[in-house]
Amino acid sequence: MERKEISVLHYLLLLPGVGFIVLFIGSSIFITITQSFGLFSITGKSQFTMENWKAIFHDKESLDSILFSLKMGLLSSIGTLLFAFPVALFLRKGGAGKRFLASLIKIPLFIPALVAAFLIINLISYHGIVNEALIALHIIKKPLRMLNDKFGWGVVAIQVWKNIPFVLLILSSSLASIRDDTVDAARNLGAGTFAVLFRIYVPLAMPGILVSMILMFIKAFGDFAITSVAGPTYPPSIALRMRNTATLFQEWDKAAVLGVIIILTTLFITWLYSRLAEFVTGSK
Amino acid sequence: MAELAIAKKQKTPWYVSQARRKRSFAILLTTFFIVMQIVWVGLPIFMTVLWSLVDPNHPWSYPNILPEKLSWGQWVYVFKYTNIIRALKTSYTIAPFAVLLSFILSLPTAYVLGRKQIPGKKFFQTIVLLPIIMPGMVVALFLSRVFTAFGLAQSFIGLVLAHTLMGLPYMIRVLTTSFEAIPQDIIDAAENLGANTFTKIKDIFLPMVRPGLLAGMVFAFTTSIEEFNLTFIIGTPTFETIPTILYSFLGYNFIRTNASVVALIMMIPNIVMLFAVENILKSDYLSASLGKL
Amino acid sequence: MSRLILKNLTKKFDNVAAVNNISLDVEEGEFVTLLGPSGCGKTTTLRTIAGFYQPDEGEIWFNDKLMNNIPPAKRNTAMCFQSYALFPHMNVWDNIAFGLKMRKIPQAEQKKRVADALEMMSLTGMEKRMPSQLSGGQQQRVALARAIVTQPDILLFDEPLSNLDAKLRVQVRVEIKEMQKRLGITSIYVTHDQDEALAISDRIVVMNQGHIEQVGDPQSIYLHPATSFVAGFIGLANILSGIIVAREENRVQIELPFGRLWAFAGDMHARVGDTVKFSFRPENVTRYREGSPNKIEGTILHAIFMGDTIDLFLDVKGTRLRAHAESTATFKSGDTAQFSIDETAFQFLE
Repeated sequence: MERKEISVLHYLLLLPGVGFIVLFIGSSIFITITQSFGLFSITGKSQFTMENWKAIFHDKESLDSILFSLKMGLLSSIGTLLFAFPVALFLRKGGAGKRFLASLIKIPLFIPALVAAFLIINLISYHGIVNEALIALHIIKKPLRMLNDKFGWGVVAIQVWKNIPFVLLILSSSLASIRDDTVDAARNLGAGTFAVLFRIYVPLAMPGILVSMILMFIKAFGDFAITSVAGPTYPPSIALRMRNTATLFQEWDKAAVLGVIIILTTLFITWLYSRLAEFVTGSK
Repeated sequence: MAELAIAKKQKTPWYVSQARRKRSFAILLTTFFIVMQIVWVGLPIFMTVLWSLVDPNHPWSYPNILPEKLSWGQWVYVFKYTNIIRALKTSYTIAPFAVLLSFILSLPTAYVLGRKQIPGKKFFQTIVLLPIIMPGMVVALFLSRVFTAFGLAQSFIGLVLAHTLMGLPYMIRVLTTSFEAIPQDIIDAAENLGANTFTKIKDIFLPMVRPGLLAGMVFAFTTSIEEFNLTFIIGTPTFETIPTILYSFLGYNFIRTNASVVALIMMIPNIVMLFAVENILKSDYLSASLGKL
Repeated sequence: MSRLILKNLTKKFDNVAAVNNISLDVEEGEFVTLLGPSGCGKTTTLRTIAGFYQPDEGEIWFNDKLMNNIPPAKRNTAMCFQSYALFPHMNVWDNIAFGLKMRKIPQAEQKKRVADALEMMSLTGMEKRMPSQLSGGQQQRVALARAIVTQPDILLFDEPLSNLDAKLRVQVRVEIKEMQKRLGITSIYVTHDQDEALAISDRIVVMNQGHIEQVGDPQSIYLHPATSFVAGFIGLANILSGIIVAREENRVQIELPFGRLWAFAGDMHARVGDTVKFSFRPENVTRYREGSPNKIEGTILHAIFMGDTIDLFLDVKGTRLRAHAESTATFKSGDTAQFSIDETAFQFLE
């Protein structure tokens, strides 16, 4: 047990790592917020104004982007959960085959997002192998437009493919904390497979479920790279629009507004999911 | 003897064979999932490898199921006629510096977070995760403004700082776990035998966190190699790294064959390094650091 | 309410039989304890009865229903776990009511049964508490309430008291026994604590390395152990081997390194010249008085004051024996003293 010393030295030692992060993240967030109000403009004049905010909220294209990104966030987090949860349950009890399966599943973790995007693009392109296979099996007549499609399915597919192992890891550790005794007790008292799933596994794994959903949503919501290569031409993701507004249109103030919106949405979703946590574990 | 065997077979009760059938079903299911997973993960990689080996003089297009001819032509082309070598140099130069800086900054922080109780510890641990949680493009865009104000934009130092920022969370978390794992008894024994601070650091702490250190360095390294958002905004067009070059091949310049080569160049060292960490060190450092994003 | 019949039950893990050809017949309402050291197969047997393991060979019958391969949820047994296994995300009420919910018992009936169980376990008023807010003893009682409220055919106990402190253990085991007697549910109880087993069981099944050593009521097990394992495991015992040198109607004389002893042999079939293995308890080795049988002289190696007796370790001409003396005696290491071994105390073992 460490002695409980409140020492200035300890805080000083924290400074290099924590301080570095606070400095750089802090300054960028600070500039984002202030620029959205027209202050601290690096180039051009500085003056407090709400103009930028008004402009964005009246700008249909920006609103479309926001909605699109919300959609991507929601679908990606739900999609990865739907795939990863059953697998996590299946892998909960060990076995040699399952350990091999687990290491296979982890592979996309080691693959960078851009590469993952490209790998999947290869498969789901208009004349790609997925379409060819579906046509050969007579499931569809014409190839599906899964890439750069208006809805954004290409992006969702890539996000799901890349992030299943990430969600799986979090869920696995959550499920591992559920004692076997607890599950046995439930089965002993008459709980069938569904009852065990919804009354024991899901409520007790809820912390992990929510953490992974939050992180997944934030990633997919704020995504730039994947959406810009595999997403629809219109609407762009909010991050893409933000960047274009900044570097192409040179409207940094308006871009800052979009940036703040992204940050606020991130915080809001985190708050929302944790409220959801209390609701779910309370009622069940 | 034979009659005994036959008699035994006929007497296998229904519940024993039912149990056996249940077990074989479980094995079948696992095998099925393994095969599915091999396709799920293997097919994309396989297709990309295939695309990278398409002979430049025999383009592979619909309706061919497989390319007509394979050769190393694309690889030669990419290395000769694109900036890939420059990008490789840049990437693999920035990374070691970023890792080194990450290490230096992380060590004291991880020591406190791993071995000391201070008020607000949880708060600080959350701050450490900020680079991972905060939306990447927002930070990239507006940090570039800050960098511009300080003349760090489009500079090597700026890129190293940016890559360090993204690697710190992993390095700190892994080192924190390593520090936590050192039993207090060993420190006490060392002090009892007369060790001063310098000796403690050199002979106890550093050697004992070495496995974690190795893992953290690999994570910080691969994070730097893969880093895109910050590099793209702060570095281009002066600097090109492997991710930014890949991105350029995925945009308006979409040449599938070039992109395949670059994707493999980016992916293979990564997988090798991370797999090595996971297996050689025989512990789940990967999972401990919440996975790579 | 159910009879339990195990026929030639075998359960293997990785080709090692944890339970090896066990047969047992438990009457309705009986309280049977499976007693033995770690690894003897008692927990495996219990979990197989519960349905968590499928037997490799053999049959499990509840009354006249064959239970092999029926899943745990459908067996109408209820188990109390060593770790209590309360659902951490449900309060006391929901924990207890869980089994009733699974059986789709109507709400009104649920309310009644849970309230009754709470009262029986002295838990009224704690309905809304979460398991983390309860003491170990309270958690165990919730686990019990949760088990009995479903009115199971068979109650299963997996070392439920091991996590409680000593005094609480004694108190709760009495409560368990009384509750079981009142409800009359057939109960199978697993423990490695022989005092517990002796105190509360109708019958004890002593197990060792996957097979049954002896089955009997507590008195028989204690006073008449059938094998050297049982003799050594239950209570303290002096276990010796000797040759029979003389035989009278119902007594034999046994030759031992330190002398000859007379023992009541009852209907034992051994003859003069046979080697026999036997045991007697330390409480049957007491201080010699004029006229006491089987006089021996020994050197005191250790004298340990136990409160109600003194536990003595003796050296009798090279043989180590344990004896008891009254608590007022004063012995020092190195003293010699004379002792007598009760002739009726000899248990012959196979």
